[in-house]
Amino acid sequence: MNQIISTYNLSKRYGKTYRVKNVNLTVNEGEIYGFLGPNGAGKSTTLKMILGLARPTEGKVTVFGKDLEANRPFILNQTGSLIESPSYYAHLTGLENMRVVQRLRNVPDKNVMEALKIVRLDKQKDKKVGQYSLGMKQRLGIAMALLSFPKLLVLDEPTNGLDPAGISEIRELIKSLPQRYEMTVLISSHLLSEIELMATSVGIINDGRMMFQGSMEELKNKNRPTIMLKTQNNKLAQELLFYKGFPSMQQDEFLVFENMTDEQVANANRTLVSANIDVVRIEERKKNLESIFMDITGKERSL
Amino acid sequence: MRAISLELYKLRHKRLFLMAMLFFTVEIVWIFMAVNVSISRNSDYAGWEMLIAIISSMNGLFLPILAAICVSRICDMEHKGNTMKLLLTASARRSSLYAAKYITASIIMLVVCFLQGIAIIAFGIANGFEQPVPLNLLTRFLIGTVLTNMTIIAVQQWISMSVKNQVFALTLGMIGGFIGMAADLFPFEVRRFFVWSYYTGLSPVTQSYTSEKIQFMIQDMNSLLPAMVILVVAGIGIYLTGSIHVSRQEV
Repeated sequence: MNQIISTYNLSKRYGKTYRVKNVNLTVNEGEIYGFLGPNGAGKSTTLKMILGLARPTEGKVTVFGKDLEANRPFILNQTGSLIESPSYYAHLTGLENMRVVQRLRNVPDKNVMEALKIVRLDKQKDKKVGQYSLGMKQRLGIAMALLSFPKLLVLDEPTNGLDPAGISEIRELIKSLPQRYEMTVLISSHLLSEIELMATSVGIINDGRMMFQGSMEELKNKNRPTIMLKTQNNKLAQELLFYKGFPSMQQDEFLVFENMTDEQVANANRTLVSANIDVVRIEERKKNLESIFMDITGKERSL
Repeated sequence: MRAISLELYKLRHKRLFLMAMLFFTVEIVWIFMAVNVSISRNSDYAGWEMLIAIISSMNGLFLPILAAICVSRICDMEHKGNTMKLLLTASARRSSLYAAKYITASIIMLVVCFLQGIAIIAFGIANGFEQPVPLNLLTRFLIGTVLTNMTIIAVQQWISMSVKNQVFALTLGMIGGFIGMAADLFPFEVRRFFVWSYYTGLSPVTQSYTSEKIQFMIQDMNSLLPAMVILVVAGIGIYLTGSIHVSRQEV
């Protein structure tokens, strides 16, 4: 599969602190890549570097297999983007705002109308954008990004400010883009639930570092149940079970086992009882995606 | 050219030209009223020289403020809507964006200058000035005013683009207006460092008070040339520094 975006040890330092550190991000053709992370994790900074809006302190970005620094106009011509809050001229109408981008991008009139129709702003196009609601401004931003029907779409938190109906509408739209227009989409969000419903690949960033990158399937596979076991003598039990082929980790007052079948659990229990170690609890705990995300990004941080 | 036409497109509904015209009208009405009063007190003054000298000194007050407002309106629309990232990701080049804004502001100020020229001629003819229309003086007056405008626009644009809060740029414009009006009161060594003082500094007619009477003296082109060169060089320097500085700012 063709790599559309790849970054190599991408870093950005402001003052003495690194906002982004050694990020290696890979987006393949036709994917919807969800770029997840808490607020302030470095998502927007990374996306800005991918679009050439911010200069990396270290590292390199290649888009469509070409070095960004040397091929910026070529790359940007085939990329649509919406970074952070939507950009607009409040004194112009929605249509006039689209015309500004149309002039810059040199695209035909029909694209303008189609993009406005896709985000359902075609009936509001003659209203001044200053009078738009936040959701409408966000839709206009998406329409501007779609205007040239680019090969790559970079959207930074595109559902910010949208109501639940708007969010699901935009989600369905984004999901349809790879098939309908052969686009590759890189979308960032701090909401796992949002990414979970549309992304095919995921990257999780925290404190400027990439904590996880892989397919949605891989992330979901981390969703395996664990067996928590509590005995009167955990230390002895851990040693005994280790020799029996059941390695575990100690967590609070429990021993934690991964990937155990029912039979193995019964077996382990039997071993402990015959060794006169009293078993007081056997629990199965399932991790949901939310807690995997929290584990990866650190629980103490607010999302 | 495309960048300039885009700038003009973006100025739709802003009524910038209308505002500039209103500003021009207020200035011209004020000047003509003042000139009428002078002529009615002493008909010896009735001449083109006086008209040009007074307009030059009033320009020192009005045009820096008008330039500050125009430039601020042209630049502020990018700050207000966060549109720099939109333009840059649509592969617009920062330097051409900066240049397009500079040229747009210059065009508006140029229109105002030409209207002033026409107003001067109309006023002189309407008041029956005896001498013929002094095209040479008028041309030199316009050149001086346009060059000063262009340097002031460069200063204002640098501030308006690099500092988001337009209060700074507008305050600078007002301070400039004050300096421009009071420029003749400063000694030459101080005056030449203020770009706003060049409206009167490059004016082909100067005023001087001798034995309690105002005299209007025509300056020859050669004596104005060094100041003109200094102003142009300073203007180019300020423009380039501003453009490079703003291009390096991250969005």
